[in-house]
Amino acid sequence: MLEVESVESGYGSVQILWGVELSVQENEVHVLLGANGAGKSTLLKVLVGLLPCWAGSVHMDKEDVTRLSAPARTKAGLGFTSEVGIFPDLSVEDNLRLSSLVVPAAQRKDAIEAAYSRFAELRGRRRALAGGLSGGQRKLVAIARALVSRPKVLLLDEPSAGLSPRYVSEVVERLAELRGTTTLLVAEQNVSFLEIADTVSVLEGGRVRFSGSKDSFGNDTVLRDAFFGLE
Amino acid sequence: MLFEFAVIGGILLGIYYALFAMGLNVVFGAQRIINLAHGDIVVLGGYAAWELYETAHVSPIIAAVVVLPFAIALGFLVHRYLTPRLTRSSDPETLSLILFFGLSQVIEAAASLIFGPNEHSLPTSALPVSSLHLFGESYPGIWWVAVLVSIPMLAVFLWLLYRTPFGLRVRAVMSSASEAATAGIESRLVSGLFFGIGFGLAAAAGTMGIFIFGGIAPTDGVALTITAFAIIVFGSLGNPVGTVIAALIFGVVTQLAQVYAPSWSNLVPYALVILTMLLRPQGLLGRRQRVA
Repeated sequence: MLEVESVESGYGSVQILWGVELSVQENEVHVLLGANGAGKSTLLKVLVGLLPCWAGSVHMDKEDVTRLSAPARTKAGLGFTSEVGIFPDLSVEDNLRLSSLVVPAAQRKDAIEAAYSRFAELRGRRRALAGGLSGGQRKLVAIARALVSRPKVLLLDEPSAGLSPRYVSEVVERLAELRGTTTLLVAEQNVSFLEIADTVSVLEGGRVRFSGSKDSFGNDTVLRDAFFGLE
Repeated sequence: MLFEFAVIGGILLGIYYALFAMGLNVVFGAQRIINLAHGDIVVLGGYAAWELYETAHVSPIIAAVVVLPFAIALGFLVHRYLTPRLTRSSDPETLSLILFFGLSQVIEAAASLIFGPNEHSLPTSALPVSSLHLFGESYPGIWWVAVLVSIPMLAVFLWLLYRTPFGLRVRAVMSSASEAATAGIESRLVSGLFFGIGFGLAAAAGTMGIFIFGGIAPTDGVALTITAFAIIVFGSLGNPVGTVIAALIFGVVTQLAQVYAPSWSNLVPYALVILTMLLRPQGLLGRRQRVA
């Protein structure tokens, strides 16, 4: 569903990504692990079109999206939830309505209703400003917003950022509910997200150090100890 | 009776000030820059009303609508060709002040060359309306005409912003341009149109300003920009509803000052900015965002 080939990019003259390769299959949950500064957010920005791809290519559903603008990629089915993920000055309802504008007009109400059904606690806060919600609720709005646009692939940048452990568990649980129905690429440094992974990649210094199934990652004790101190 | 006159007159003028200042707030919302040429766009609107009346006897009320598309197009072009350099710079805020100060000077110089340095005004016969009589007091006809022009324009603008998909896109871009881009919004196009609307509102306000301010001259732009700036800071930057409320308060305070302390009334905009910064820097309707 998502093929990333030899991608190179960076900021100004500073190169951050060095020939990154990644492959995510349909309805698979792929967790991209890496420490702060490894290049996870940079890679996601390249994938969604917020940063230019200096070399290499990005294909989604066999379509080359490398040169498409960010809005065009969203309309093509590439959903993205940044660390912020919401429009804080808009109400919860407006956040969802905004994302629904990329689906055909006749399907918008259903798309929003589906989001409220999945995240029932948001229904009662639909008139509240998204920026006034708790960190956990804001994260749910961000995920709901991305789902309303009915993406073929959903990229999530650090969904645990700024959350207490209790909320991290809740976000993991909510993402687990999407398994088997949505293609997810989750960029994280929090290993809790391995729980929902089908496949795993590890990014270090802008290069992919590991890519494979969760089981093979689990068996690679050297890698696990070196990067994450997992037992 | 003086008090009632000042309050009612202040409310009438305040409604006009809301239209007058809204354009500056709109440009700020579209690009996060202070358009130091705002007052000069108001002046251009005034000159357009003068030219249309003098050459074709077009009513300034009609002129307010006629100037809209031209000013929107001008704003869109300024946004398209001048602001990209700002967004690429490392210090866009400072650079924007320099850039729009330069634009202000260019407009001022061009207006001087075309219309001359002297003040231009229109005769009251250009707006053949009678005075407004309310609670035993009489108010100049131009005040309620300005209200009649301002209210529909502000209403259409607020409807566009808060009740249409375009407005939703605009508010998203105002909140976060990069987030908006990944929500499928063509941020540059949307903010360019909104930026143009800011210019349009300023020019439309100018067509009435030629009466309200007693005439227009090429050098009026700076003082008008300061007054509009005081209103939007008071109401809170980027908040259109705040601008309306602040403009009403500003109108009343200015009128009270003109009635009871006329020699001090010119200080009202400056005092308003200083007091806002000291007491409520986020403005009347500004709010702090929850962080956890």
